[in-house]
Amino acid sequence: MLNDFTLGQYFPTNSLIHRLDPRIKLLLTLGFLILIFCATNIYALTLIIFFVVCLIFLTKIPLKMYVKNLKFILPILIFTTVINLFYTNNGNIILEFWKIKITDYAVVRSIFLSLRIVLLIIISSALTYTTSPNSITTGLESLFSPFKYIGLGRAVHTMTMMMTIALRFIPTLVEETQKIMNAQKARGVNFENGSLIQRIKAIIPILIPLLISSVKSAYDLAEAMESRCYNGGENKTNLKVLKIQKSDYLAVLFFIICCLIVFLFNIVF
Amino acid sequence: MSFLEVKNLTYTYSKNTPFFNDAVEDVSFSVEKGEILAIVGHTGSGKSTLVQHLNGLIKPTKGEILFCGQNIWNNEKNISSIRSKIGLVFQYPEYQLFEETVFKDIAFGPKNLGFSEQEINESVLNSAKLVGISQEYFNKSPFDLSGGEKRRVAIAGVLAMKPQVIIFDEPTAGLDPIGRNNILNIIKNYKKEHNATVIMVTHSMEDVALLADKVLVMNNGKKAMFGTPKEIFSDRNKLLSVGLDVPLITNVLLKLNELGFNFESNIITVDEAVNAIINCKGGADNA
Repeated sequence: MLNDFTLGQYFPTNSLIHRLDPRIKLLLTLGFLILIFCATNIYALTLIIFFVVCLIFLTKIPLKMYVKNLKFILPILIFTTVINLFYTNNGNIILEFWKIKITDYAVVRSIFLSLRIVLLIIISSALTYTTSPNSITTGLESLFSPFKYIGLGRAVHTMTMMMTIALRFIPTLVEETQKIMNAQKARGVNFENGSLIQRIKAIIPILIPLLISSVKSAYDLAEAMESRCYNGGENKTNLKVLKIQKSDYLAVLFFIICCLIVFLFNIVF
Repeated sequence: MSFLEVKNLTYTYSKNTPFFNDAVEDVSFSVEKGEILAIVGHTGSGKSTLVQHLNGLIKPTKGEILFCGQNIWNNEKNISSIRSKIGLVFQYPEYQLFEETVFKDIAFGPKNLGFSEQEINESVLNSAKLVGISQEYFNKSPFDLSGGEKRRVAIAGVLAMKPQVIIFDEPTAGLDPIGRNNILNIIKNYKKEHNATVIMVTHSMEDVALLADKVLVMNNGKKAMFGTPKEIFSDRNKLLSVGLDVPLITNVLLKLNELGFNFESNIITVDEAVNAIINCKGGADNA
């Protein structure tokens, strides 16, 4: 069950996208996410879908991995789509029963919305699949570095350090959970069968050891960092220095072209 | 028919991803009732993955595990009943403690298996006695105990389920010499009392020499050697090639042989060595 958890998991295939500068990737991801919501008609959106398909191919990551992530949000996707069907009253009514009216406009809107959510997830998965957690945080730290001119340098560093640690510990926690689950299974806990209440009760023997070991590893980590003279990051330099390369400029250029075409489509159609 | 038999077991981690990795590859062995099997191998040789197959925590990618001649995965719904017959004490088992009191924690396993109130009491008392946890501890919180005590409570929690086969994954890791001896005695005593089969993953060749009836040597997920401790330790070169060694005392005698003594090569425990040396000295005096 826990092995299927891939949200935020780096998938090293060393593709063109993998080699892009993390700062550029972060900004472009943000840009694309905004662009998705700027595309107001079906032509513009189709264009974006085309770009995203290209992106999937460029990352060299099996389509299955993206589908896996989409499965996680399927319930939310269905929920928002259905709700949107009922909450739009403009347009021609195509279906009516009791107090519920479904209009053609509502159908279009729901499809748009669900497509947008799917695109959002794919683009953000592409970011996390192609960028290791460490590069993401180095990228973020670098992007937020102007804040040091207004006296927030330490705060930015603390935030990114917290993120690095949190990301770093996700796999550890997953592994720990799996271990504790197995240990309790070996003691006769049954997670698969039983009533809902029994299954909820079965979580307690996992949760308590997990909490205790997390607190313990937090202390250990803090001590390990202090004994290596960590003091909050004033003037700390990074092991890897980020450098913008030719391919990064190309990616930005590509994005600008995308934007222009999408806005053009928005106006023309 | 063997008591517990593993046939051509293969397990692949993260199949169909770039992280895929054959953790266990085509391993076969068997162990009889009342025997102690030691599994040795360097870190990452697939020992822990292997033992988690034995009580059905991991389903093999290929191959089968036969318990009393029955494939344990024949009836998938019944896999938890296998877990009550084949107990597994994980590495650092103290991390699985969670109840408010020591008594409740030891009683957790038996309770899950549906033991009656009386059976629970009885088996908790028995296993607590076996691991040397006295009754005054019963109402303490398990988190207030020392490391060694925690581990013994955790082991008692598995022993209380009265498994016929018990697997220990590095039971003595991180303990001081006294703690180690305690655990090894617990293993011996449980085996004697219940005529149980014990499977023990360990890094200590001394423990293997002292306790094991059979040894399985793992290397890179494959079975490298299988036999009695004396057979295994007689081939030092092969052990060295898989990153292991013979017990220290055997090495000492080998060195002495290089200096001109003539000890037999199948001496693997300190007691045997002491005897051999006394006999040798006696021989020298007579000469």
